[in-house]
Amino acid sequence: MQVSSHPPEKAQSDHHFDMESLVGHILLAGVLLSVTLLTVGFVWRWARVGNLRFEHSIAGMNFFEFILSTLQQTASQAFRPRLFLNMGMGILMLTPFVRVLASVFYFAFVEHNWKYTLFTGFVLSVLTYSLFLR
Amino acid sequence: MPFHILFLVSIVAGFIGALSGMGGGVILIPVLTLFGMDIKYAIAVSIVSVIATSSGSASAYVRDRITSLKVGMFLEMFTIVGALAGAAITLVSGRRILFILFGIVLLSSWFALFRQKNEDWRQASHQDIFSRWLELEGSYYDRSVRQRIVYQGARAYLGGPLMFGAGLIAGLLGIGAGALKVLIHDLVMGLPPKVSTTTSNLIIGVTALAGTSVYLAAGMIDPGLAGPVILGVVSGAFMGTRLLVRLTNLAVRRIFLWVLLVLGVEMIFRGIRGG
Repeated sequence: MQVSSHPPEKAQSDHHFDMESLVGHILLAGVLLSVTLLTVGFVWRWARVGNLRFEHSIAGMNFFEFILSTLQQTASQAFRPRLFLNMGMGILMLTPFVRVLASVFYFAFVEHNWKYTLFTGFVLSVLTYSLFLR
Repeated sequence: MPFHILFLVSIVAGFIGALSGMGGGVILIPVLTLFGMDIKYAIAVSIVSVIATSSGSASAYVRDRITSLKVGMFLEMFTIVGALAGAAITLVSGRRILFILFGIVLLSSWFALFRQKNEDWRQASHQDIFSRWLELEGSYYDRSVRQRIVYQGARAYLGGPLMFGAGLIAGLLGIGAGALKVLIHDLVMGLPPKVSTTTSNLIIGVTALAGTSVYLAAGMIDPGLAGPVILGVVSGAFMGTRLLVRLTNLAVRRIFLWVLLVLGVEMIFRGIRGG
């Protein structure tokens, strides 16, 4: 095992710090926002009708149609518990997607690492394809 | 299924999953089916919650600079394709096959955990050209030994295709398949255990999203069912992680070994009997 006793800060480049910070904060923000929106949706539903049962289906929609419909409802200010539930689900599913998208940009424009731009670009393309599946 | 049952079951699954380090899915899916949920819907609901638990824990590990982003981003290319294929297979598979496969995965995990030895990590003897080209070397500061650990990932030509298999199982059964990913990182690619576990967490989120998209397109994800499961699993994992530091490894292992064995045998039995 190779070891050195350098403290963590000294052995890290600025680029490394930025990339990890970016990815870590995207994941944290996504999960916290999603959990908050889901909680608001359930608490509001319970306060409004006295139960936590949601009976609405999103069958027949792919991910982007689901996001689009949620955004349209948000834009028209049709706020109701169901919308918060959908927003929570949408943000959760967008979190890894945004993380990959940010990685592509970071590798391309900050690190200028074309090899990893290609790898993350491939992951992004397959994910985008899968989110348009019907 | 009523909210409170879904929520409580998910808290317990997230709690045990975090204590054992195997994730909530392996407990959640068998228990949801015991409460009468169709195994395919249980798989679909579980895989959404996997995005939440893996992203939550990955965020902390990435910011602690233990995760190897390059290893993760290279291997993700294989796991997402595997997850898409796995989820597509589940849609057309018979339920009995899924019960039996799930039982086999649980019993394999039981066997791996039963045979586990706490051996020290050994650096790969040399880094091959392909892994060097992929820049799979890195380092992290290990607070427990107060030293910077330097490592070189190796045998990426084997690790990649094997990770396709791990992604396939994740998409097929709606679990993170973290144990399998860690095994590939450790034994094949020669990564230190902490790097293996944390990098696996990063990969699981994207892999689970690929699987989720297939189940969503098939109309199997109901926000009213997925919502309480996500909240429950995240809360349970949060509590489990806090308790983990107070429990001994041996106590955690003993509890989890029994849970895996009972659920594994029970799932295979139900598969043979007809669900």
